[in-house]
Amino acid sequence: MSEFEPQIVAFFCNWCTFTAADLAGTSRLSYPPNLKIIRVMCTGMVDPKFVIKAFLHGADGVLIGGCWPGDCHYINGNLKARRRVANLTEVLKQYGIGEDRFWLRWIAASEGTMLQEVAKDMTEKLKQLGPSPLRNLGQIAV
Amino acid sequence: MSERIGFYICHCGINIAYRVRVQEVAEYAATFPGVVVSKDYLFMCSDPGQDLIEKDIKNLGLTHVIVASCSPRMHEKTFRAACQRAGLNPYRAFHMVCVREHGSWVTESEDEATAKAITLVRAGLMRVTNQVALFPSKFSVNPNTLVVGGGIAGMQAALDIASSGNQVYLVERQPTVGGHMLQYDKTFPTLDCAACIGTPKMVAVGQDKNINLMTNSEVESVSGFVGNFKVNVNQRSRYVKTNCTGCGDCAKVCPVEAPNEWDVGTKMRKAIYISFPQAVPVRYAIEKYDRGPCVQTCPAGINIQGFVALIKDGRYQESLKVIMETMPLPGTLGRICPAPCEAQCRRREVDSPLAVCQLKRFAADQVDWDTLPAPEIEKKPETEKVAVIGAGPAGLSTAYFLAKKGYHPTIFERAPFAGGMLRAGIPDYRLPPAVLEQEINYIKKLGVDIQLNVEIGQDRPVAGFFDEGFKAVYLAVGAQSSMKLKIENEDAVGVMHGIDYLGLLNRRQPVKTGNKVAVVGGGDVAIDAAREAIRQGASEVKMLYRRSREEMPASKHEIQAAEEEGIKIELLTAPVSVLTTDGKVSGLRCIKMELGEPDASGRRRPVPVADSEFDVDCDMIIPAIGQRVNSSFLEGTEGIELTRWGTIVADPVTYQTTFPGIFAGGDMFTGPSVAVAAVAAGQQAAISIERYLLGEDLAENRPSKPTGNNWKAISKKVKASSRAKMPILPVAERLDNYKEVELGFDEAQARAEAARCVDCGGCCECKLCIEACKAGAIDHEMTDKKETIDVGSIIIATGFDPMNPVKMTQYGYGKYRNVFTNIEFERLSNATGPTAGKLLKRDLKDPLKFTEAPKSVAILHCIGSRDQNYHEYCSRTCCMYALKYAHLLKDKCGHDTQVYNFYIDMRCFGKGYEEFYKKVQAEGVKMIRGKAGSITEDENGILTVKGEDTLSGRLIEVPVEMVILCTAMEARPDAPDVMRKFGIGIGQDGFFQESHPKLAPVSTPTSGVFLAGACQGPKDIPDTVAQAKGAAAEALALTSAGQVEIPPMISSIDPDICVGCQLCIGLCAYSAIEFNRYAGISEVNSAICKGCGSCSGICPSGAAKVRHFTDKQIFAEIDGLLLSQGA
Repeated sequence: MSEFEPQIVAFFCNWCTFTAADLAGTSRLSYPPNLKIIRVMCTGMVDPKFVIKAFLHGADGVLIGGCWPGDCHYINGNLKARRRVANLTEVLKQYGIGEDRFWLRWIAASEGTMLQEVAKDMTEKLKQLGPSPLRNLGQIAV
Repeated sequence: MSERIGFYICHCGINIAYRVRVQEVAEYAATFPGVVVSKDYLFMCSDPGQDLIEKDIKNLGLTHVIVASCSPRMHEKTFRAACQRAGLNPYRAFHMVCVREHGSWVTESEDEATAKAITLVRAGLMRVTNQVALFPSKFSVNPNTLVVGGGIAGMQAALDIASSGNQVYLVERQPTVGGHMLQYDKTFPTLDCAACIGTPKMVAVGQDKNINLMTNSEVESVSGFVGNFKVNVNQRSRYVKTNCTGCGDCAKVCPVEAPNEWDVGTKMRKAIYISFPQAVPVRYAIEKYDRGPCVQTCPAGINIQGFVALIKDGRYQESLKVIMETMPLPGTLGRICPAPCEAQCRRREVDSPLAVCQLKRFAADQVDWDTLPAPEIEKKPETEKVAVIGAGPAGLSTAYFLAKKGYHPTIFERAPFAGGMLRAGIPDYRLPPAVLEQEINYIKKLGVDIQLNVEIGQDRPVAGFFDEGFKAVYLAVGAQSSMKLKIENEDAVGVMHGIDYLGLLNRRQPVKTGNKVAVVGGGDVAIDAAREAIRQGASEVKMLYRRSREEMPASKHEIQAAEEEGIKIELLTAPVSVLTTDGKVSGLRCIKMELGEPDASGRRRPVPVADSEFDVDCDMIIPAIGQRVNSSFLEGTEGIELTRWGTIVADPVTYQTTFPGIFAGGDMFTGPSVAVAAVAAGQQAAISIERYLLGEDLAENRPSKPTGNNWKAISKKVKASSRAKMPILPVAERLDNYKEVELGFDEAQARAEAARCVDCGGCCECKLCIEACKAGAIDHEMTDKKETIDVGSIIIATGFDPMNPVKMTQYGYGKYRNVFTNIEFERLSNATGPTAGKLLKRDLKDPLKFTEAPKSVAILHCIGSRDQNYHEYCSRTCCMYALKYAHLLKDKCGHDTQVYNFYIDMRCFGKGYEEFYKKVQAEGVKMIRGKAGSITEDENGILTVKGEDTLSGRLIEVPVEMVILCTAMEARPDAPDVMRKFGIGIGQDGFFQESHPKLAPVSTPTSGVFLAGACQGPKDIPDTVAQAKGAAAEALALTSAGQVEIPPMISSIDPDICVGCQLCIGLCAYSAIEFNRYAGISEVNSAICKGCGSCSGICPSGAAKVRHFTDKQIFAEIDGLLLSQGA
C-alpha cells in the first residue's frame, strides 16, 4: 500500500498569503502537492462553514493563511479570523478534529520561504496523524 | 444542459508543460460534464490565445470559460476582457486556475504536478457554473495627484503631472525638497554637479502653479479608493511665516546649535535653520519640541532652557531679560531657590542635572543693576491703581507684573524694609541684602511705589483702600507667626522661635544668643537659625529633628554646609519639655523616636520610643517647626473668609477672595511655601487683577502651563561631564562674619555648565529671532495645520536611507575620526558642505574640524550590501559612486593621492558607466578585488585596511589616511507604517513591492497607488527619474480615463434572510453596513464596502455574502478539490 497522502485545503487571502504562494512559485520553492489553495479576498471572509465543509468532505487538514496582524489589507479582517479560528478550534475538537489539523498562519506577501515551510510541516504532521476521522462521514452527511 | 464550458490549458512556453502533462489535463477536462471544448495552447495570454477563446465563445456558444495557466493575479484581467469582448459577463463566465505558480513551479514530480493540476481544474470547473453575472460600478476620477516624498523621484513625477495641467500635492517630510540627490556633489558618470541639475527642478517645483508644495508635512491617514482618495496631511509648524526672505539674520542671533541633518552631522546649524542655501522653499524653520521638563516644573514657568542657552552664548543681559519675563528676583532666587527644576533635568540621563539655580544667579550677577535699562512700558492712566499688602516675594511679583502692564501698584509694608521673608528670614551669608535691594530698586524703577512702616488693620482696614482710589487689592502678607512646640515651659526665657530670631538678626537688632543652643526642626529655617547661632558666637549648636536624615526638608547642600560649620544634628529626637531654672532655659528634655507608617505627606511618621527620654544641655532653644498666617490685619474688614488653618479662602484659579476685587496669594493662601511659588502666585494674581480691572472673565482661557514629553532625543554623542562645582568660602573664613558663603561661578565655569544643557525643547524660545527678523516673519505661537486633500491617484516616492555602519565594528565607524560614510564624503565634496567642497581629513580631537587633504584613501565597497548579515541585495550605485569618489580625490587632492578601491565585483552596467570605469582606472586608481575585512587606527590616526586580494590570493594591509565606506541603500525604518497607510506591500528586502517585478514596476496591490524611485528598491538617478516618469504616466492615464471601474466583488445582504441581528455592523471596519429600522434588517452601502467579507464570515443566517465568494461557489470549489476523497 502506498504512503498515506493527506489532503489539505488552504484558504489564502488574496493580498498576503496567496501572493506569497505566487512568490514561492516564481522562486521555484517546491512543496508537497497535498496542499491546494482556494483564493479568498481576506481571511476575515472564511466562514466556519467552509472549514467544516472541507473536513466533512474528506480534508485531512485545513490551513488558513493571512496577513500579519496590523498588515491586513482590510484594516483588521485577519484579527476577526483569529477570533473565529479560536472558537472553531474548540468546536472541531469535539468532533475529533484536533488543532493539529486546523492551522492559522500569518504569511506575508514576501514570505515565500515561510509558505514552503508551512506546507512541508503541515503535510509532514498530517502524515504522522493519519487520515481524518471524519473522512468517511462526508458521504453520509451530504 | 444549458452550460457549455470551454477549457483551455496553457503551456506557458515550457513553464507549465515541462512538468504538467497539459494534454492529459485537457483530456480529463473534456470528460467533465458540460465541457464542450478542451484545448491546450502554447501561450494562452498571447493575442492568438485570446482570439482562440473569443472565437470558440462565438462559434460554439460557450457560456463559461476556464483557463488553467499562471496566477490569476497576473492574467485574470486579460481573460476576463476576452470573455467580455465575446459578449459574456466575465464574472459569470470566467474562472482562472493557477497551475504554474501553484503547480508546475512548486511540484517536483511530473505525475504529482499533473495530478494536482487535474484536481485544481476540477475545482475550477465545479465553481464556474455557480458564478453569477456581476456588473462593476463606475466612479469618476479626481484629477489631482498626491506625491509623497520630494526627492528627485517625487519632484520629477510632480513636474510631469503638473505639466499636463493637473494639480499635484507634493508632501515632503523635511523642510526642503531635494532629497538625497541634492546632498550629493557630482553625479556619475557624467560628473554633472547634482546641484546644477537638481536645483532647477527644486525651483520649478516651488514655482509651478499646479504644484501645491507641502514641506515639513506628513501624510497621517488615507481613505477612499482609486480615483477618490481622501488624504489627511499634517503640516508641522515651522514657526516662520511665508514672508520669510531667507536672509538668515535670525540664525545669527539664535543661541541653540544642533548638528545639521542635511550635512549628516558634519556641520552645526542653529535651532532656526535652513537645510542648505538653495533650499526650496527658501524659508527658515524652527526645530521645536515640547518645553523641557525644567520649564514645565518651575512654578514660575521660567524659560530655563532659554536663559541657559544665552549664558552659554555669553549674552548675559539677554539671558537676564529672559528670566525676568516671568520672575523679577533672579539674583535672590538664584541663591535660595530649592530648584525643583533640577530634579527633572534630562541631563540626569547622561550624568547629573544642570546647575540651573546657580546659573540663574550667575546671569543676575553679571549685570549692573543700576544701569540696567527698564523695559518700555505703555503706562495706563494714573487712576489705574492697585494696592498690594505685603512686600514679600508674592507682593513684589504682583506689583512687578502689574507695573509691566502699565498699571500703578503701591505696596504697603508693615516692616521698615521690603522683601518680606527674603529679607527677614534668610541670613545675610546666604542672601546678601544688597542683592535683594538692587532687585527691589529695579522693580521700583518700573513704577512700583513701596510704602514702608504701614500697619494695616483696625485703623487702616483693607476694604478702606477702595475709598482711597485703589481699584483692586492684593493681599500677600505671608506666614509670619511661628508654630508653637506645645510643650511645657515653652514661654521660658531663652526660648526664641526661629523666624523671630532670624528676623531680629536681619534687622540688626540686639539678640542674646546662648552659649549652648538647641534648634528644633529640620527645615531651611532651622538650618539658617543654627548657622546664625554659630555666627553669633554660640559654642555649641545642636539641631534636633524627629525623623531621619532622608526626610529632612532642608536642601542637602545646606545641611552639609551646616555640618561643616560644626553643627551637630540629632536625628529621631523630639522635645518633650523645656527644663528651666529660675524661669530660664536650662535644658531640653527629649525622647527618641522611630519611624512608623507613612503619613499624609508621604513621609514616615515618627513614633516615640518608650522610656527613651534624655536631657539636652542648653541655655537657648530655637523652635523652627513651621509658620502660620497672622490674620490680625483683616480686622475692620468684613466679608473675607478664612480656613480653619487660618489661611485665606480664595478661588484656586483666579485667586480672588470672597470679597470682590480683593485677591490673595503667597504663603497666606497656600500656607508656608517657597519663594518661587510666591512669584508664581504673583504672576497669576497680576493676570486676574488686570482682567478684573478690564471687566473681563477671570477664569476663562487663562494661559496654561506647558505640557507634553515629546522632547528632543539626547544625542549619543553627548559625553558625560561633571556638574560645575560652586566655589565656596572656606569654613574658617565664614564663622565670625556674614560674608556670602557661595561665591558664584566664574565666567568659564558658567558657560561650560550652560553648555551641558541638552536642549530638550530644541528652540529655547529666547525669542531673539523675533527682534532680529526685519520682515516680522517669526511666529512662535504657530500651530500644526491639518488638511484633508482629495486626490485620484497617489505616487509614493519616499526614498531610502543610507545604512549606518556603526554596528559593523570591524570598520570602526564612529570611533575612528577619518572613517567616513559615503554621504559624509558627498557633503565634504559639496560646496555647501562643512569644508566648502574641499576634501579634508577630520581633526583627531574635534569631529567638527577639518584639517588637511589626505595623501591616501581607501574606498570600501559593499558595506552592508551583498552581505548575508545585513542585506543580501546589491545596492546598485556603490561601484559607480566609488569610482566617482576616486576621480574626485585625484582631481581635488592632487594626482599623487593614492586611492585604493576594495571591491567584490565591479558592476558598471549603465549607459556610459563602463567607459567611466576605464577612465578612472586610467587615472591611476588602484583596484583591489576583495572585500576589506577590518580597519585599525594607530596613535597618529593612520588607518590600516586589511583584506584579501583575491586575484593574487594574498592577504594585504594598506595604510591610509582616510577611509570611505560605501554603505548600503536600505528601506526607511518607517516603511512598514507607510505600507499600512497606503495599503501596499513590502518585499523581503524591506522595500515596497511592485505588482510585478517586470511588467508592473510602478504599480501596487492598491489600484491608484504607484511607486517611484528608491523606495521600491536601490537605484541610481537615471532609473529613478525614469520610474518617476512611469508613475506619473500611470497617474495621468487614470486621470485622462476620467472614470474607474470598481470590482463588483463586494458584500450584499439578502433582505429575505437577514434577521437584523446586526452582528455584521459591529465588525465592519469601514462602517459600510447600516441598520434599516423600518425593515428590521442590515443593509450594505455598496459605495463604501470594500468586499473584505467580515460580515459574511460572521453572519449566522447566511444572509451576508461577498459576491463572487458565495457559499455555493466556495463549496463547489471544496467539492472539486476533495472529490476523490471520502468513501
